[in-house]
Amino acid sequence: MANALADVQTTFLNLDGQYNLLLAACPTQADRDALMERYSAAESAYDQCVGQLLEDDDAAVATLCTQLAAINKQVSALTTQMGDMSKVLALLDQALKLGQQVIACLA
Amino acid sequence: MKCKCVWLWIAGSSVFLSAMVLAGCKTSDDAAAASSQMATTSLKLSSYYKALQTTFQETDELYQLNAQLYAKPYTSENQQLLKTNEAELAKRAQLAADLSALSESFGSLTATTTPATVASDASQVETDLDKLAALKASSTEQGALRLAVQQLASAIQQHKEREAAKAMEGAAQSLSDLFAKETSVWNSTEEVYSQIAANLAANLVDANLTDNSAVLDVALAPFGLVRSASIGDMNQKLAPVAKQQIATEKAAMDESYLNATDGMAKALVQMAQRIQALAEGKPMTARRAPLSLATVQEWVTQVNSVANTLAPASAAAAGSAASGSGKEK
Repeated sequence: MANALADVQTTFLNLDGQYNLLLAACPTQADRDALMERYSAAESAYDQCVGQLLEDDDAAVATLCTQLAAINKQVSALTTQMGDMSKVLALLDQALKLGQQVIACLA
Repeated sequence: MKCKCVWLWIAGSSVFLSAMVLAGCKTSDDAAAASSQMATTSLKLSSYYKALQTTFQETDELYQLNAQLYAKPYTSENQQLLKTNEAELAKRAQLAADLSALSESFGSLTATTTPATVASDASQVETDLDKLAALKASSTEQGALRLAVQQLASAIQQHKEREAAKAMEGAAQSLSDLFAKETSVWNSTEEVYSQIAANLAANLVDANLTDNSAVLDVALAPFGLVRSASIGDMNQKLAPVAKQQIATEKAAMDESYLNATDGMAKALVQMAQRIQALAEGKPMTARRAPLSLATVQEWVTQVNSVANTLAPASAAAAGSAASGSGKEK
């Protein structure tokens, strides 16, 4: 039931765990703002998923979850990419986009 | 849809238990035991949901602290999402509590066998169900439930006990199924709560904002010694031990919750099985409430204990955080 929820949860918790280091590594205010925006989006995606009490037996959702799980492996090590904040933000964008697609499928 | 299943289960329970009342002295004893067990199990389910609600409230406070201390945004929109999810838990807690009250009233029915009294009590049940229906069910569901209760009174007065009991078979399973279906979602919210708390605690240790000297107690307490009020530089040296303690305690919190959830699920399954056996005319083999409820109570006590300890301090911290500028950025 909750594989989709677990994947969206992983994105959020991985970001939460690395957030302070990432924020400190942001070279510009624009980067900090962008990171904050992703954090808020990750939290929002998680709470939306909970609210929908997910069912993920849909094939399309399963495919999205597979993709999200793959991206989450990279999200779990965002701090290794701190030297290139644009890459960090791009990875987060990929994860959040997939999370939103999961929510859309389940809505 | 899920709530509709529960409403149907409640109506089914009404039919079944009241039917048992009229089926003779031996069965009446079993019905009384079943009523008592249903009341206990339902009340524990309500306590379980309320404890989960507490973790939602603490998650809200943690987010506010994170916003204030570490610029982790917590928008009013996200706070509302969390509150909406918490409200869903509150509905389940109230439903379970009301169901427990109904079960208690069924227990009192076992003392009477007159149709007039049963009809009167069934009317009271209808009144109780009106209160339940006001929680969430749609008007369609409310109408269906009211009709079910009216049919209950009619079935009892016409002594259609067996039909009513058979109709109950499978219905008792629905509450157990509902719980099982949602378990992974609540597991997730508990995990998020404990991880967010652990992350924040570790951040506070890293920032040297904690008194880590408590970890020395394991060495000092056996000898009746107490640590010094000030341990100076040693506080930072103890940081890794403090962080290990955070990880250990977080794992224990998660395990305790999972045990409680498992215990609750088992108790609900046992209840459904016992009621099904009664519906099939078999004697009740166990009259005590399911033993696995003890693990539920253990976790509920832990959550409430922590919440009671934190109440004054967390309220002040949350108030301070809410008045800060961290809510949006």
